[in-house]
Formats: sequence, C-alpha cells, structure tokens
Amino acid sequence: MNRLIAIVILAVLAISVSAQDESDSTVIARPVASMFMADVGHASVLDSYLTPITYGGIHTALTYAATQATGFSPDRWVRQLEVGVEFAGVNNPVGNNDMQMLMAHAQWGMMHRWRGVFTPSLQLMLGGMTRLHGGVIYNSGNSNNVVSAKAHFSVGAMGMAVYNTHIGRLPLTLAYQASLPVAGVFFSPDYDESFYEMYLGNHHGLAHMGWWGNRFDMTNLVTADLHLGNTIVRVGYRNRIERSWANHLNTHITTHALVLGVGGEFLSISRRGVKPQAKIISSMY
Amino acid sequence: MRELRYKNCVFLGLVLMVLMTLSACHDEPQWNNDPYGNFDALWSIMDEHYAFFDYKEVDWNEVRTRYREKLSPNMTSQELFELCGDMLKELRDGHTNLIAAHDVSRYWIWEQFPVNYDERIIDEYYLNFDYRRATGIKYALLDNNIGYMYYASFASNIGEGNLDHVLSYLSTADGLIIDVRSNGGGFLTNVETLVGRFIDGRIHAGSIQHKTGSGHNDMSEPYDYYFEPTKNHIHYQKPVVVIANRGSFSATNNFVSIMKSLPQVTIVGDVTGGGSGLPFTSELPNGWNVRFSSCPIRDAQGQLTEFGVEPDVRVDQTADDTARHHDTLLDTAIGCLVKSR
Repeated sequence: MNRLIAIVILAVLAISVSAQDESDSTVIARPVASMFMADVGHASVLDSYLTPITYGGIHTALTYAATQATGFSPDRWVRQLEVGVEFAGVNNPVGNNDMQMLMAHAQWGMMHRWRGVFTPSLQLMLGGMTRLHGGVIYNSGNSNNVVSAKAHFSVGAMGMAVYNTHIGRLPLTLAYQASLPVAGVFFSPDYDESFYEMYLGNHHGLAHMGWWGNRFDMTNLVTADLHLGNTIVRVGYRNRIERSWANHLNTHITTHALVLGVGGEFLSISRRGVKPQAKIISSMY
Repeated sequence: MRELRYKNCVFLGLVLMVLMTLSACHDEPQWNNDPYGNFDALWSIMDEHYAFFDYKEVDWNEVRTRYREKLSPNMTSQELFELCGDMLKELRDGHTNLIAAHDVSRYWIWEQFPVNYDERIIDEYYLNFDYRRATGIKYALLDNNIGYMYYASFASNIGEGNLDHVLSYLSTADGLIIDVRSNGGGFLTNVETLVGRFIDGRIHAGSIQHKTGSGHNDMSEPYDYYFEPTKNHIHYQKPVVVIANRGSFSATNNFVSIMKSLPQVTIVGDVTGGGSGLPFTSELPNGWNVRFSSCPIRDAQGQLTEFGVEPDVRVDQTADDTARHHDTLLDTAIGCLVKSR
C-alpha cells in the first residue's frame, strides 16, 4: 500500500514538473497548414433510384484543408478541418442522356502523431474523424425520380503518412492521407418512394444507421508538396469511393482526380506577436 | 517489440481490406446493348418496379415468353421499339411509355373515346373570345351569371395571387364551372393549391403507396394524406361543377377524384382517363427511357382510380349539339348550376 501511494505521488510530481518545464521555458507556436485544392478528373456514378446504368464523365472539386498541431500536446496530436464542394457532369454509355452531381462536405478530424517512424523524416498519424456529406444527383430525363438526394453524417478513422525530404535544395513533402467513415446515419428514400410522398409527410424509413454492411465511403489522397519560399504548391491524386445499399437501392460513386493546390503555413498573430524564442511545431512539414 | 508492432499493423491492414470486401458493394444486373439485352432490361425493370400487375391481373412472365420469342439478333432498332412498345401496351397504362429519340410508345386511352371537347366552340360561342387568362387559367363570366374557368394543364403552376384574382372576379357568379377536359395532368402540388380554395376544413384527400422492393407485392402501407384550406386567400363556397373527359388524366384524374368527394361539387362529363400511379423513369442500355406507374394513389374511399373516375352526371357530346355549335357537356354543367340556385 505504501509503495502504491509512493508511486502515485511520484507520478503527480513528474507530471507537474513536466508541465512546469514546458510552460516556463517554451513558448509554442502552431502554424496552420492551409491548402486550397482544385480537383479535375473522372467520375463514375451509379444510382439505381435514377437509373440502373452507370454513367461516367468529368469530375471537379474545390477543397480547403487546414491542418494544425493541437493546443494540448502539440507534438503528439494534429487536427484537421476540411470543407469542399464537388461537381460531376456524367453521361450514359451511349451518350444520349446526362446527369449532374453536386455534393458538399465538411470533415473534422484529430490524429495522434508518431514522429521518426522507421526513418527520422517519416511521420505517421492515426485518429478519428467526423464527416457531414450531402448533395444531389439530378437526371433531367426522369419523371418523379428526377433527383436523388444524398446526406450522411459519419464518424470514422483517418490516417496520414508524411515524409519530408528535399529535391536538391527544394524542400518536398510527400504525403498519403485516407479518411474512412465507419458508422453514422444516412438518408435514403425507399425503393420507389417519391419525394412527393415525403412532402406529404411520410418520413418513415428515410434515415438509416450506416456501417460497412450498407455503406462504405473512403477517400485517398496522395500529394507532393513543393515548398517555394513561403508558398507551398501541391500536386496530387485523390480517389473517392462511395458505396451504399439501402432499401434495395444501390449507389456506386467513384472518382479519380488530379489535385492541384496552393497554400502555406500561417501563424495566427496575437497582439503580443510571436516571441522570437517560440518553438514552432508544424502539423506536417 | 518493433517487429511485433509491425505484425500488428499488417494484421490490422488485412482486417480492414477484408471488411472492405464485405462492404455495401452490391452489383447491379448488367445487360448487353443488343435486342435481347435491351428487351431483358425492359422486362426486368418493369417486373421490379411496376405497381399494378396484380390489380390489372397481368401475367408478366407469360408476356415475356410471348414477346421474347419474337426477338431476333438482327432485328432493327425500329422493330425492337415496336415489339417492346407492344409489350408495354399489355399493361393498359397511360403512364407507361417507351421513349426513344424517334418515337414514344403509348397507351393513351383517351384516343379510343369521344373527345367531348372543342375549345373553339367555347371560345367563339360561349365566351365570344372575351375572356381573361391568368396563371394558366382561362376564365370568364358566362350568361346566366355562371363563372367559367378552364385549366389546360396541371403542369402550369398556379400562383396564389393569380388565383385570388380569378376567384375574386368570379365571386359574384351564382356558381362556378371548372373545366379540366383534355388536361393531361402535371404537378400534384397544383392539385393541392386549387382544391385548397374549395374546402373550409381539413379533408382526407386520399392515400399514397410505393414499391418497397422488387417483388410484385412489395408495397408500402397506404399513407393517408390531407389537404388544408388555403390560409389568408379567397375561397369559393358556392356550387361548383367540374367538367371532365377521358383526356383528364393523371394529376387531373386525382383532382377530379378529390373534388368529387366535396359536397358542393358535381362532376359532369365522361369518365376520366385514370392514371393513378405516380410515374417513375428508368433506362435501357441503348439509352431508351421507360416510364411506368410506380406509386399508386388511392381516393379518399381507398379505391384505385387507375381506370378513371366516374362522373356524377355522365354525358357525351352529341352530333346535334356539335352542328349547333353547342358544347353538350358545358350546357349540362350550366344546367346543373342553374337548377341549384
């Protein structure tokens, strides 16, 4: 018993000394890695509420991502906010009908960071995320099933691998990021339910608990960030896979896109400014 | 220790990959873009989505057998279209069409019955070309102080303000005729807008169902729906006659069925064209669209009106009246209102 009390006291002392060291000797600055990205690529869209035929065509997206070390334990934890809109104009295989897809999303995640994994330049991050995603797919050739509305809220996992290196004297950051919703809630009309019936008030069976058995959604992003002075130019590839099966309705959406982005690391300046001796803890770079 | 972590990571990755393959991925049937593939796609789409097989006592498997044996690999697109169109006509459904770039197959029942409507006779001999138009509604005061409004399509949105003007202008009339002959339907929300001016309390308008799966009997429970009087707008509470013909189809059929349940309303004319299934659309591999009845709408008594609504006063246009430039149905409607004074 005495040994247990001694251990607890030592642990408390150690924590308090550690916290005191950090607060006394180190001022930490946490820059926000902001990136504006434009995607251009191909979308494959199947929504059996609208048509049993898979459509394909151009996919575009605009995304903003802000990544920052957290206020607590900034060396070990990183958070990221991402918002974006995407548009796809797709055609049926014979080319006589088209659909438009317009989606938007907001995602917030927090990841634990391990530095120097395998090599000193490699960081691995793994954590959780929550995502709100919604939009419409519109098929003008249809009658009362002219539009398919999509909405889901999910929580899941996200991870990131970041490798900082150089090309000559040019700093280069290679990264792979994946987000993987695991569970949530999503909207789906019934098999042949019209939106008019929903308008009349029948909302039965529209909300579904989502899990990998009825909904799978994954986004993969591979990027190379070139550091040109204070500006970061991003080139990459993004892939999104969405599958859902609810009320005997099938949705398959797959996008492949070239990503071009521009951004930088920004510090929020307080009235007192950033102290010269501040320790800068970057989220990625 | 590091090796153990590495193995754990690999194991976790494998588990993730297996879980992904067990995911929500469900394959859609694939059909070839040839006569057999397109025929099978059409038959399957209808088999899985059409709502009235049992109500119309159609043996869809027998239909498939009968028509599929007429297929040949070398048939032209036109021949395939006619064959598929004929197969769809077995459903006797005005909402069911095969739509190609060159043609639309159809089963329009009103083409088989008297038209019972000649717009020119009304414009010239009843309205003297002196009428108003607002929000898709033609309206005027007839002799005998009877109000008349003709609504040509429920696809024309009705503005509440416009409707106020129409009903205000006709408010001095002793009765109102709402002519929806040859109105092929449109938006059901316009039905609600119009009916809302002729009710003074919440009414049970009917019920709606939808298919819940691919089986012929996979149907949802009927969902009762109600209409409320339109608030803060002009209402019309005097006697009303609705004139309909076989061309009064789809949303118009729905309008007539609801108006028929109101105590101050009399339906005059022919049986309506029916079309009580809200249509959905799908697609064949060759790009042809197929439209079909998918969501049955029942009247307030729970009856399907797929084959039309019986009028209270059944009357057809007579040859004598046509020769005299008279509209038999309109004369009958005027007579009903004059009698009710």
